[in-house]
Amino acid sequence: MHEQATAVTSTAGSTVSGDTVPELRAQGAIHRLLARLLEQEIDADLLQLLRSDLREPLAAVGIGLDGLMPAAETTDGQILEALAEEYTGLLVAPGGVSPYFSVFETGCMFQHPCDRVVEAYHAAGWDYRRHYSGEFPDHIGTMLGFVGILFDAEADAREGITDADAEEIARQRTAFIVDLLAPWAPGWCRRAAQAALHPFYRQLLGLLEQMLWSEISALVDRRQLRDIQLSNRREPKKLDYNADFRKASGV
Amino acid sequence: MKDFAQINRRDFIKLGAAAGAVGAAALGSRRLVAMEQKLGGEDFSATTGAARESVPYTCLACNIEDGGIAYVENGRVVKLEGNMDHPNTRGKLCAKGNSGFLHIYDPDRILSPLVRTGKRGEGKWKRISYDEATTLLAQKIREVIDRANTENKPEILNEIVLKWGRNRTGGAAERFMHALGSNAILHHTDICESSKKVGLEPSWGPDIESCDWANTKYILNFGSNILETAYFMNPNAQRLVDGVVGNKAKLVSFDVRMSNTSGFADEWYAPYPGTDGAIALAMANVIMYEDLYDADFIRDWTNVTAEQLKEHLKTFTPEYAEEESGIAAADIRRIAREFATTKPATTFSYRGPVKHVYGSYQEAAIHMLNVITGNVEKKGGYCLPRGMGWPQPEPEPPKGRVPSLLATPPEYPLASHHVSTLAPYRVRKGEAKVSVWMTFYDNPAYTYPSSHVWAEFLKDENLVPFFASFSPFMSETTELADLIIPDVTYLERHDPESMPSGLYPCLSIRQPVVKPLGGTQEFRQTLIDVIHKVDPDGSLGIKKYFAFDTVSDWMRAHFDEIPGLKEEGGYNFLKKKGVWPIYGKVDPNTAKIVDRNGNEVEADYGLHRKELSASDMEGAEVDGNGTIRKNGKAIGVQIRGRNYVGFGTPSRKIELYKESFKKFGFNPLPTYKRLPTRERKDNELVLTTYKVNVHTQSRTASLKYLAELYHKNPMWIHTKAAAARGIADGDLVRVTSSVGYIVTRAHVTEGIRPDVVAISTACGHPSYGRLAQLRQREQAPDWAQGAASPDISNNVWWDDRGVHPNPIIRLAVDPIGGSQGWFDTLVTVSKAQPGDSYGDVQASVEASDRDYEETLRYAYNGDIHRKNHPEVDIEWDALPPAELEGVGHPDAG
Repeated sequence: MHEQATAVTSTAGSTVSGDTVPELRAQGAIHRLLARLLEQEIDADLLQLLRSDLREPLAAVGIGLDGLMPAAETTDGQILEALAEEYTGLLVAPGGVSPYFSVFETGCMFQHPCDRVVEAYHAAGWDYRRHYSGEFPDHIGTMLGFVGILFDAEADAREGITDADAEEIARQRTAFIVDLLAPWAPGWCRRAAQAALHPFYRQLLGLLEQMLWSEISALVDRRQLRDIQLSNRREPKKLDYNADFRKASGV
Repeated sequence: MKDFAQINRRDFIKLGAAAGAVGAAALGSRRLVAMEQKLGGEDFSATTGAARESVPYTCLACNIEDGGIAYVENGRVVKLEGNMDHPNTRGKLCAKGNSGFLHIYDPDRILSPLVRTGKRGEGKWKRISYDEATTLLAQKIREVIDRANTENKPEILNEIVLKWGRNRTGGAAERFMHALGSNAILHHTDICESSKKVGLEPSWGPDIESCDWANTKYILNFGSNILETAYFMNPNAQRLVDGVVGNKAKLVSFDVRMSNTSGFADEWYAPYPGTDGAIALAMANVIMYEDLYDADFIRDWTNVTAEQLKEHLKTFTPEYAEEESGIAAADIRRIAREFATTKPATTFSYRGPVKHVYGSYQEAAIHMLNVITGNVEKKGGYCLPRGMGWPQPEPEPPKGRVPSLLATPPEYPLASHHVSTLAPYRVRKGEAKVSVWMTFYDNPAYTYPSSHVWAEFLKDENLVPFFASFSPFMSETTELADLIIPDVTYLERHDPESMPSGLYPCLSIRQPVVKPLGGTQEFRQTLIDVIHKVDPDGSLGIKKYFAFDTVSDWMRAHFDEIPGLKEEGGYNFLKKKGVWPIYGKVDPNTAKIVDRNGNEVEADYGLHRKELSASDMEGAEVDGNGTIRKNGKAIGVQIRGRNYVGFGTPSRKIELYKESFKKFGFNPLPTYKRLPTRERKDNELVLTTYKVNVHTQSRTASLKYLAELYHKNPMWIHTKAAAARGIADGDLVRVTSSVGYIVTRAHVTEGIRPDVVAISTACGHPSYGRLAQLRQREQAPDWAQGAASPDISNNVWWDDRGVHPNPIIRLAVDPIGGSQGWFDTLVTVSKAQPGDSYGDVQASVEASDRDYEETLRYAYNGDIHRKNHPEVDIEWDALPPAELEGVGHPDAG
């Protein structure tokens, strides 16, 4: 775990968000939407949804759907192919931007950050089942989906649909966001947006980054927020390379 | 009142000095003892202290197949070490082996099948499931089979091609291809050591020697970097040190470059590239003419007489060898005498002598030194390799009905390990057709000579209509594929193994030490799936060869019926121990294998002298030469009334005289042929390459431990050669061959011949992941160093990935063994020209096409062949025709 990231812990005083049930439901829904968009490729049903019910709300937050609209002699199949190609190039194939917490923190797949995420899933009564090979529980999309589940669960508890303890669920959600998403996810969004070639994914990642910052800033105090910002600004150390520093032989 | 006198520091010191004088043994704790160094076998979590799960496996970081133990914590491999039960590697792994687990968690690993969406090589993909991927491949294969059946042309099946670089599947890949009816199986051995193999096989059966380094007194090393990279590096390096340090053996090394092995040697000589054979023949000349040879051994165990050899060796004098190699005749003479009179002694050779046109002759000449001095199969001598076999599950598919021109080109009838280097040229010329090209553990667009030709070939959809790769990494070749069905890494898959890596024969197992990461699928399962989809109802007669429910079933079929192993538990025993048999324990003081009483478990020697039993001899016949035959097969040799098992040759003797060579106009006895590179112009140098101790040829540049150790490969050039060209250490230089040029840096050193330059392999990857390439997606430059990983962010202190020399290396095929002549390229070297940038590569496909035509002239039916072999007494106009069916290539299907 990165040093700066470990400095940030879930010490937020307020657990119950103070949000109304409809607000909780709305936040649950947006997390589920982002989860679906990032966890796997867009299919025909989702494409239709984006163009119809979600078109205006997405436009309101700056996501243009021009790239998803059929131009002359373009079929939906071709659009889906193009989106799948972009998705694979950006988030699946080597050379893209790995969407895993473990890779961000350790440089390797399936490491201890993944265990921490799974522990959180289990604590809330959820398990993980991959759809494609090469998928892991600490995928950014899956983690967002889990946050969405917790929002919904809190709303259900508040409404008495379940017997669960709303405060406990809110505490779980806060801890998950602050401990497991905040240290890396906004920074990851920025870099992934830079690498995206398709405007839809670029805009989507930009939206997610903003949403995460908004969410995090509501959960932590200013000092913690500064630490989180630093953690997310982690940049590769630039080399001050001097060819004469070592002999060409490297010995 | 004070109980104690006031004491000061000086008093303490005085007391200490007095106590020290008493002596260490008399004082101090009687309870504390020095911690014993445990020789592996257990490991503990650094955080919880709990014992880590240990799982044995067989390494495949390179091809040596060392025994390993993986330590697993929370389902992850956290550490690898050697398996102490493996008798040949004795609990040791090399740097590559220790780093192997990084392959598993490499963020640039391909974990999902990918299907190409853009142009070939454009890097546009869509992920699909394993089910979809195997269905697609099966469909492409089925189309070829249906066409072959409809047109009733079994040769069409050879349009299904499988090319591998490192196949350790224990027969699975061959089974797959033969089940499909195709013989188009292309090895990589001809870019490796096939000419060594072909130099040995006709003479004594197996394709390699196993030296008893630890017990020898004298070692002649020809062009092998035993301590770092050569075949069986880990076990051989251990035993070489045992021999030189522990047994006071003398090591004499011939190598154009001062490798670490040559640095370790008592004497290092740098011959002109490709002249090792002349030196070995001159040594043989001295040994024969000074009567230092083992007359009994030559008489009993070879198919030549001493007189024949003397006559043959007459012209190969030390003075002649000096003229060719630059090594003083006096040294050659002295070393020959030392070698013949110091007992026991052995030679070893690897890439140096054999990676040339006529490399097989050179190997045969070196091998002969051991034979004429009677060092064969003696303790401390030059021994046969020891391996073990395993049965293939029944039913086993027969080979395809028609030989493949790509796999077994008829111009190379002696090249029993195939000639894959010619494949793209043949297809481009329309001499062979491809419909489905598959590649496994293979990267010819990087590892082959004139590698640009392979990239051009594989990019061309007219020549290669469908290209599937099984690689888990995006190599220079895999990025050109239409479909990638990623295999797992070697720590996640099953294979049977038996490598003759020492004098103790053993079987071992490769097994998943953790579950395949992220639900990935091993190659063996992919083969089962594809076959089941090609022939879903079994009506093609193919499915029956893959009647395995699970991969474990397949492994059981290999291991469960082997006598001896079966009684100990078969497959289950190997899963638990990793290796069989267990010879004993490694003595922590001597490193020898010892039994429970502490006595050394000695290797068996004199394998050829094992006597045939009465039941073996029942129904056998002995011919005039003493060869014992039974049911038409040679099973032994009778010598002075005793029936020995002998060697694995037609006569069961060592056949220094090779009838098979003569049939095609090659000299049947070990000889030397001057190479075109020997005629270089003054400004030309010979370009050589070498492997380094922490990398394989192409698969390890992405491993961070290893990339940090070695990541750039400046060209070694001698001080005098550099001075003559105005080149200083670290200068940018242009290296130009007839194929093209590269721009790299110079490493000026005394450790190389003045007329040779050397560039290592393993660097200069344009693909293969963030560390190999030191860059990622162009759009995200900040990501380039892998912002994700603290290690990569903070510890990658280099920005030099080296320059790969292969594009400018000429295609040159040994007409006997089929090996690529890696060291047969002449270059000029100059300071870089204005506009040159580090890493520039220019290579011409047309120039490589000319090399293809030129190298065919050396083949047995080519005009240069006849010109180069005036001494061979044969009807030159009656050579067998170079036809696919008829020449009888040993592996023509």
